[in-house]
Order: sequence, then structure tokens, then C-alpha cells
Amino acid sequence: MGCDVVTVSTDTKHTHLAWREHEKDLHRVAYPMGSDGTGALSRMFGVYEDETGLAFRGTFIINPEGVLLGIEVNFDNVGRNIDELMRKFKASLYLSRKTSEACPSKWKDEGDKTLTPGAKLVGKVHEALND
Amino acid sequence: MCECECGCNCGEPLKLGQKVPDFTLKTYEPSKGDFGTFSLADQMARKRWTILFFYPADFTFV
Repeated sequence: MGCDVVTVSTDTKHTHLAWREHEKDLHRVAYPMGSDGTGALSRMFGVYEDETGLAFRGTFIINPEGVLLGIEVNFDNVGRNIDELMRKFKASLYLSRKTSEACPSKWKDEGDKTLTPGAKLVGKVHEALND
Repeated sequence: MCECECGCNCGEPLKLGQKVPDFTLKTYEPSKGDFGTFSLADQMARKRWTILFFYPADFTFV
């Protein structure tokens, strides 16, 4: 899909290795596991917590031009939904080609109904989604 | 405004639509069973999208 996932925590790469090898749920994990030991990258994205030295559960979508297109940040006790992340990534990818369209909340994949913002859509979103 | 003009926003967290300054991470790469590096510049050179997935600590849930 032209996309790479990299996970990031303030642990070292050595700890990443140990966790990946010991946790059975991670044995199929293939993506690179990044180490942000100084917290510099976590700070840059606003997910660094000074009190703990740890990063919040933040997910960021960056396009091939290096522009930040998606931000989701949860507190450290709420897990993320991968289906919703993939929906947002697919929508961003689709909209990079179809720049005049918009993907509504129920859009899941190419072929689903999109909106084309403009004067004709004002007050007519219901009709546009349900006709 | 950013005085250094590097696009880093001088300590302010990045906002949507902003260009992300280049960064490099040391990594563990399970697919190779080896250590490596990941950089945004590499991703841009290869025209790849990037999903950065932060989490508090190893040995915790997703």
C-alpha cells in the first residue's frame, strides 16, 4: 500500500528485541520498532509526558511529502482501534488522488460514497449520502 | 513564529498540515532479526507514507 508503520516508545532497541521475542502476541510483528530514548520525537509530536518520561498512545499519519495528515492521541489506558486507523489511512491515500472529494464518517474503502464539498452540498449532505 | 526557520515550530508540538522536520530513529527490525535505523528522509525519497505509532512502554498493551 506504499505505507510503513514504525512503532515508537522511549525504551531502547534492546528492550524492543526482548519484548518482541518474549510476548507471544508479538511473534507476527514485522514492523520496525523505534527507540526514542531522549523523548525528542515524542515531544515534537506532543505526546511526551514529563512526569513519567513515557509517550502517550499517539498515532500520526505522514504523507510521502512529509506533511502531517492525521493525529490521534489517547491517554495511556485506552487502546487504539486498528480498523479505524486503516480507514483513516486509506481515506488519506484516496484523497491524495481525489483532491476535490471528502470521505464521510462511514467511508471505508474505495468505491464507497464520497462527498464533494461546494455550494451545491450546503444543506444537502443527507441527500448526497442517501440518494 | 519560528525564528530558526527550520519548520520545527520551536518546541511547539506539530499541527495538522505542517511539514514534519526530518528525524531518525534507532530500531529493532523483527523482519531482519537485527537493529537498524528509520528516517523520514528515507521515506520521502522512496515516496512512502509513514504511520508513527507511539506507546508508553514495552511489555504493555496496544
